[in-house]
Amino acid sequence: MTPNHPRNLTNRCNALKSTGPRSASGKRASSQNSRKHGLNSAPDFESSSEYRALVELIAEEGFSAFACADIASSLLNYRRVMDAYYDTYTSPEPVDEFLRDANVKASNPIFSDLLSPSGSEPEDVRDMAAFFASMQRQERRKGGPVSRRSSDTHKLIRYQRNGIARLSRAVRQG
Amino acid sequence: MLYNVHFGIYVDVAMPVEDKSKSLLPFLSSPKLLPDESEAEFQSGLQSLLSELDNPSPLAVALVTQLNECLWWIRRHTVDKELLLHEAMARILSKAGSYGATYDNRKVSEALEHYLDGSADKDESEWIEDILIESKLTLPDLRIRGFKDAANHIKMVDDLIHRQHQTMRHLQRSIDSIDYKSRLIKRMDLELAALESKQPVKEALTLDAEPS
Repeated sequence: MTPNHPRNLTNRCNALKSTGPRSASGKRASSQNSRKHGLNSAPDFESSSEYRALVELIAEEGFSAFACADIASSLLNYRRVMDAYYDTYTSPEPVDEFLRDANVKASNPIFSDLLSPSGSEPEDVRDMAAFFASMQRQERRKGGPVSRRSSDTHKLIRYQRNGIARLSRAVRQG
Repeated sequence: MLYNVHFGIYVDVAMPVEDKSKSLLPFLSSPKLLPDESEAEFQSGLQSLLSELDNPSPLAVALVTQLNECLWWIRRHTVDKELLLHEAMARILSKAGSYGATYDNRKVSEALEHYLDGSADKDESEWIEDILIESKLTLPDLRIRGFKDAANHIKMVDDLIHRQHQTMRHLQRSIDSIDYKSRLIKRMDLELAALESKQPVKEALTLDAEPS
């Protein structure tokens, strides 16, 4: 289907009228829409089997119980950051090819049909086209998949910095 | 063969280095690779790093695995820099001249990729050359403009590479610290053993010196 296909545009325009989810499950699901990596939530490593296995492994190297716990949780925390880093890198925000490649000028007749089949005000069509064009500019500014994954991964730098500093400190002080 | 390193901890020194990385916990040793990457290559890099360590402990192996992962991230991000440039060049071409009315970034991107690596067919080559002529650009000009457009994102990727270098420095210091600690304890063990072996001689001397 071409980017300027009327059905595509109709779907887009109808979606703009949506007022969001109504059911409790829909609201619960959409409340997680902006959740990107979950690195700001407090982790509970102590109850995990990996933590216990790691503590045992480190304890065999002659570290104190406190140092073992510190190193194990720091290592797990660092792994958590790097796993989120990998996930962010491999699944960037998808490119909306329809919006990016659509020809706004050529879509004007479709906009007028959508707004009023019997003939709409030219101002309304112009507003709609301007709105569509601004969305398109936004989409194009984000760039392609590589640009998106670079900027998404860039946001995780501070977590990586903190994670590795904590791990390094735990090992050297242990 | 088991060897007493320190405090009654036994490490199998006869175990080959490659087996030591496998003896680690799976969540630390199994790498997360991209679909087109080879695990054998990752493991071979890891083994070469491990072979530089003298009898690495499990924690040292875990840290070296993280270090190897950093090297892979640097590789990925370096490729990304070239891809960003390509993306920007394709974007410029797809908006250039009269072709701008029928914007199709993916098509231009594919044609440009083939054109640059020399695998483009006649139609693709002519098409890219036509767009270049129409937009009054040469390939070097296009590359310069692409670099200028993608500068922000390239800077971001440079930051990511820099971060991986910093992480590697932290990991290297941690590995050195573990290595130093184990050497220190080993040395103390040896000194203690040496003192203990001297003790009977000393005791015998003391007995000889006692008056009958």
